[in-house]
Amino acid sequence: MKNKLALIAGLGLVFAAVPLVAHHSFEAEYDFNKPLNVTGTVTKVEWMNPHARFYVDVKDKDGKVTNWNFELGPVNILLRQGWRKNSLKPGDEVTVEGFLAKDADGLANARKVTLPDGRRVFGGSSADAPKQ
Amino acid sequence: MRMRYLSVMPAAVAALSLLALSWTPVSAQEKGKNGEKTPYPGAVRPTKAPPPGPPGPVPHMQDGKPDFSGIWNAQRQLPGDPEPEMLPWAAALTKQRTENYSADDPEARCVPGGVPRATPYHVQMVQTPALLLFLFEGNIHTFRQVFLDRKEHLKITEPLWYGDSIGHWEGDTLVVDTIGFNDKFWFDMAGHPHTTQLEVIERYRRRDFGNLDVEVTIKDPGAYTKPWVQHRVATLETDWDVLEYVCNENNQDPGRLVGDKH
Amino acid sequence: MRVRLTNGVIAIGAVLAVLLFTGPPAPGQSGKKEGPAPRAADGKVDLTGVWIVSGSPNLPSDPAYRPEALKLYNERKASGGKGDPEKACLPNGVVRIEALPYKIVQTPKLVVLLSEGNTHSYRRFFLDGRPHNLEIEPNSWNGNSIGHWEGDTLVVDTVGFNDATWLDSTGKPHSEELHVIERYRRPDLGHLAIEYTLEDPQAFSKPYTFSRTLTLVTGRDLHEYFCAMDSFAGK
Repeated sequence: MKNKLALIAGLGLVFAAVPLVAHHSFEAEYDFNKPLNVTGTVTKVEWMNPHARFYVDVKDKDGKVTNWNFELGPVNILLRQGWRKNSLKPGDEVTVEGFLAKDADGLANARKVTLPDGRRVFGGSSADAPKQ
Repeated sequence: MRMRYLSVMPAAVAALSLLALSWTPVSAQEKGKNGEKTPYPGAVRPTKAPPPGPPGPVPHMQDGKPDFSGIWNAQRQLPGDPEPEMLPWAAALTKQRTENYSADDPEARCVPGGVPRATPYHVQMVQTPALLLFLFEGNIHTFRQVFLDRKEHLKITEPLWYGDSIGHWEGDTLVVDTIGFNDKFWFDMAGHPHTTQLEVIERYRRRDFGNLDVEVTIKDPGAYTKPWVQHRVATLETDWDVLEYVCNENNQDPGRLVGDKH
Repeated sequence: MRVRLTNGVIAIGAVLAVLLFTGPPAPGQSGKKEGPAPRAADGKVDLTGVWIVSGSPNLPSDPAYRPEALKLYNERKASGGKGDPEKACLPNGVVRIEALPYKIVQTPKLVVLLSEGNTHSYRRFFLDGRPHNLEIEPNSWNGNSIGHWEGDTLVVDTVGFNDATWLDSTGKPHSEELHVIERYRRPDLGHLAIEYTLEDPQAFSKPYTFSRTLTLVTGRDLHEYFCAMDSFAGK
């Protein structure tokens, strides 16, 4: 009986009222001064802890393709926000807003994701974790 | 169920904006792209209490003792506790860890959280007359045993991540005493350290059905000049079960947590 | 003289108080391993205790593997255990066990199985009548376990697995369709008997059954063991 919340139509667009507690500090890995906003095609989804990840092929204006590694929050957080394992699938066209990693190429934190159907959802990022 | 989630959404939006306003960083602030200071969540001290858990009477065991069994949200510290008073080495180490954005936090490397660090996500407490068992959803999805049928600590032959915990009742309050720690875990994301002299006393009282008050006293003359007391609360989770969480399933973080490097 | 008598009275009183308020030692603490199985307050056989497997933790024989699963099994055997999730400190799942103690904590609506080894984690058997619910976690390392009593046997039914675990250290595979039924009995104080039935239509051509016996560990509770610590330097 007490396994989960009833299925909400569409993904949760705001956080649950219980504040998030982060697995590690955002600023240890990512740079608030380096935002990015890219659109591309999902190539792979890793629905695992401690961070779910998805990989996106992004084409630049010269047609060169870079495969980006985007970090989402932990699966537990995403599930409670309304994400499911198949919310993102290879082949999906997405827009990702996030912040670059401080010391790794092609890696960024996904703060918000615009899904193929147009919904713009939070990525459960530790950037939004209030404490501890 | 559906109604409860929907009614929470406007509150969640409000809570989120309030949280953004209520951050009061202790140290290690960085300038944002417009020169504004960006708060560093790991060093934040709480400025407001969490929303209360559901009302109702305290459940009891067959022997009359309060029953703490249930699925609880992560313990959260209440505002107003004074900062700890540390020996110089401990204060310097904390400052160094915080200013490096907690990049070396063992918790990010799937290492046990120790005591009394509040683990993220849910904690299921299972109580019998002989045992109070903690099942952690987060950190490394492990357990902690508080023995209620033992009055003496074990002889400690090797330092432990969770120490040896024994508990006894003082009226409706369960007093848990733990010794026998190693010095490898951090008390919190800010990086407060300790030594193997650490003794932790936790006082658990189920105030009502949905609220568990926890008073934590950290005693460690090797790092703190006087006991460090924290007041926390855990609220009962009513919608979600504990989920599985395997920290080292796909942990790509360790090589990338560079801290203060730009 | 008077002081000594008073001390004696106090001492006797103290001993009586200790006996009255702490009660007899719990089964296992006293070191006893013989006698009938204890009963819980609700009358059910009490499986609570610290247990360790007798003999090898591995399966005594091979399931009737279908060709694709057999191929994978042979590859793993030939590679000498390459890719063993247990070596990466990943969960064993519910069939593979360690030759290290496990602790059962029994309550009327929930039975918890704690593992000293592997990931030092826990399994929960829900006895509150709930059905399987795989909507949120359709595939997990330990699956979803529900249980009920049939007389003195606790029957635990588990589904909802991923296919990442090995059934034992030789590399025996299974698919996500694995369905495990465990039947726990405590025939006497010192023994725990578990009968396993494994069904896996994708990997097996027929169900596979086997049994294990665990013996009671007295004199000590679970020790700490965190296998990922071997690679942690600690700063």
